[in-house]
Amino acid sequence: MSNPSEINGGSAVAMIGKDCVAIACDLRLGLQSVTVSGDFEKIFQYGGNFVAFTGLATDVQTVSTELRQKHALYEMVEERSMEPNTAAHLVSSMLYSRRFAPWFVGPLVAGINSTTGEPYVCSFDSIGSMDVSHDFVVTGTATNQLYGMAESLYEKDMSPEQLFETISQTLLCAADRDAITGSGGLVYVIEKNGKVTKKLLKSRQD
Amino acid sequence: MSRFNPYGDSSGGSSLAIAGADFAILAGDTRHSTGFSIDSRDQSQIADLGDGLFLTSNGFSADAKQLVDDLRTQIKWYHHNNNDHKLSISAAARTTMMLLYGKRFFPYYVNPIMIGMADDGTGAVYSFDPLGSYDREPSRAAGHASELLMPFLDNQVTFANQLDPQTGEPRKRLDLDLQTAVDLVKDAFTGAAERQVQVGDTLEIVILTKDGVDRQYYDLRRD
Amino acid sequence: MDTVIDQLPKSVDAAAALPACVNGLPNFEFPSIDTPSAFLRAFTDDASNPDVPIKPQHGTTTLAFKFQGGIIVAVDSRASAGSWIASQKVKKVLEINPFMLGTMAGGAADCQFWERWLGSQCRLYELRNKKRISVSAASKILANVTYHYKGSGLSMGTMVCGYSEKNNTLEPEIYYVDSDGSRVAGQLFSVGSGQTFAYGVLDQGYDYNLSVEDALTLGKRAIIAATHRDAYSGNSCNLYHLKPTGWVYHGNYDAAAEIWRLKEAEGSFNDIRTK
Repeated sequence: MSNPSEINGGSAVAMIGKDCVAIACDLRLGLQSVTVSGDFEKIFQYGGNFVAFTGLATDVQTVSTELRQKHALYEMVEERSMEPNTAAHLVSSMLYSRRFAPWFVGPLVAGINSTTGEPYVCSFDSIGSMDVSHDFVVTGTATNQLYGMAESLYEKDMSPEQLFETISQTLLCAADRDAITGSGGLVYVIEKNGKVTKKLLKSRQD
Repeated sequence: MSRFNPYGDSSGGSSLAIAGADFAILAGDTRHSTGFSIDSRDQSQIADLGDGLFLTSNGFSADAKQLVDDLRTQIKWYHHNNNDHKLSISAAARTTMMLLYGKRFFPYYVNPIMIGMADDGTGAVYSFDPLGSYDREPSRAAGHASELLMPFLDNQVTFANQLDPQTGEPRKRLDLDLQTAVDLVKDAFTGAAERQVQVGDTLEIVILTKDGVDRQYYDLRRD
Repeated sequence: MDTVIDQLPKSVDAAAALPACVNGLPNFEFPSIDTPSAFLRAFTDDASNPDVPIKPQHGTTTLAFKFQGGIIVAVDSRASAGSWIASQKVKKVLEINPFMLGTMAGGAADCQFWERWLGSQCRLYELRNKKRISVSAASKILANVTYHYKGSGLSMGTMVCGYSEKNNTLEPEIYYVDSDGSRVAGQLFSVGSGQTFAYGVLDQGYDYNLSVEDALTLGKRAIIAATHRDAYSGNSCNLYHLKPTGWVYHGNYDAAAEIWRLKEAEGSFNDIRTK
C-alpha cells in the first residue's frame, strides 16, 4: 500500500548472449490494483545504451529524462557516444546524489562496448549500488519470479534468436505470477554490429 | 501492533511437488536455517504420514512439526475407527484443511503440500494456504524459493506462454514422464540454491508410483 | 431440537484426544492473550499492513444476477497473496448442493470452510424436515456464523444463490452475505476487488428479459472486463446457470484468450497495444 516501489508495479530483465545483449520490460502502469495503462514503456535508449527503469512511475519518468540531459551533454562535450559501463557509473552517481531522499527506481543498463565488443549488463539498487553481471540482471516487483526463471532457462553464448526466446519466456512466465507486472512486454535485442531489434510480446492481458 | 509474536524465523528451505499420470514427486532441500544461520544441513522436510501420503510444510518449522503430529494422530484414529481402512488422499486433504482451519484464530504459519496416489491411480498433489484453503494442482512449490520456482513450473509442466512452432497456437499440455519430471526438479532446485540463501545442501526427492516409494538424493550448493 | 446457535463453534481447550471434527466443526483454538483479534490483525490482515507474515489468499471478482431464465453466476479464478499470484485455478463457486451455489470472495479459507459447512447444514435440514432448505434460511445460517465471529478477522463476501419453494412455486433467490454480518437479498450483485469493473458492464447490458445465451455472455463479459483492469482478478472465468431443476456448469474460459477473442469480435479492449 505505502511502499513507493510497489504502487505502480512493473519489472524488467536484461541478459547477455554471444556478441549480443537483450533487455525486456513489461508495459503495465497501475495504481495499486487498477491497471491504468498497458503502454507504459520502461526502457529508454541513450545512444547505443538501453536503460530500463522500474519502480515509482513519476521517478521513472523524471530520472530517465535527467539521464537524457546528462547523456546529451556528454555527447556534446566528448564528441563520442557513452560506453555502457560509463552510462552505468553515471546512473550510479545520479542515484547516490540523492542518497538521503532517494529516487524510487530500480534501473538496469544494457549495451555493447563499442571498442571491445563485450556485452554489458548492470543493475542497481535505488541508491546506486552497482551489480555488474556476466549472465543476467533483474529488477522490479517480480524479481523473485524473474530470478527463478532466468536461473533455470539461461545458458551461456546464446545467439540473438535464442536470447530473444529465453528472455521472452523469462519475462512472460514471471509476469504471470505477479499481479502488478504484465499487460504486455517489450524486448530489445542489441547485436555487436549495431543492429537493434524491438519486438512487442503478445502476453496475457489480465 | 500486537506484541504477542509466537512465530519465529526457523524453517526449512523450499519444497516442490509435481503430479504425473501415474506418479507423484515431492522434493525438498535438507537445509534448516534460522535467519542467516544454518541449523542443520541434514534435516528432512518430507514427512511420511503412512497410507502412501507424504507431506512438506514450509514456513515456521515448529508449526510444521505440530501439523505433522496432528495429522499422524488423525490418521491413527481413522485407522482405529474404521478397521484400518486406508485414508485416501482426498480425505486426508480435507482433514488437513480442518486441522488448519481449527487454528484460524491462531494460525499455523505453514504452506503444506501433500502428495499421494489418487483413487483412480493418477498422481495427486494438494496444496494449502496457512488457513486451510486447498486445491488439487498439477504442480506446486512452497517455502523461501516458492516465488522463484512456481513460474518455472508453470512454464515447464503446464507449458505456459509456449507456442507450438508449427501451428502458432498455445502448446498443448502433455503429461510429463517420470525422468523429465525428476530432471525438472533437479534443475529447479539448482537454480533456487543459487539465488536463495535458505536453499541448499542436499536435495531429497520422494517418488511415488503404484510400485511404491523411491527416494533419491542429490547434492546442492553448500554455501 | 438443536437450534442453529447450539451448533455454532465454541472455543474449547485443544484436547489431543478429540478427533479433528466435532459436529463437523474443528475445535477452534484462540491464543491465550487479552485481545486475540489484535494479534490476528497484526499477523494476517494485509489490508492494514502489507508486510504481514501470514498472507491469506484473496482478491477476486464474482457476480450473480437473476433474469427470466434463472440465475447466472460467474467468477474469476485468481488467488493472490499480496502481489504474488498464489493460484490461477481456484474454484470460487462452491457447489453447496445440486440446487444451491455459493460464491467465494475475500479469504479463500474462510469461504471454502464455511460454505462447505453450510452444505452439511443444508443436508441435515433436508434429512430432518424432508424438504429442501430455502436460500433465505441457508443464507441466514451463514450470516449468523459471520455475525458471531464479527470483529475476529474473518474475511468473506459471498452470494448464496438458488431456488426456494414459496407458495408452491420455485422462486430464484440471491443473498449477499459478508463477514460484517450483512445479509441482503437482491437481483444483481458483484463482489470482490474487481466488482466495480464488473458492475460497469453489467449495468450497461442487464435486462431481466435476456435470453439464457445472452445472459451467460453478459456474465462472462463482465468478469473478463474485471480481469483486464483489476490486478487481483484474472486467469479464467467459471460460468454457472441456475435453473429450478438445479445448476448447470457452463465451462471454464481462459481470460487471456477471451480478451484477445473479444478484441477481434467486438472491437473492444483498444487500450491494448498491438505494435
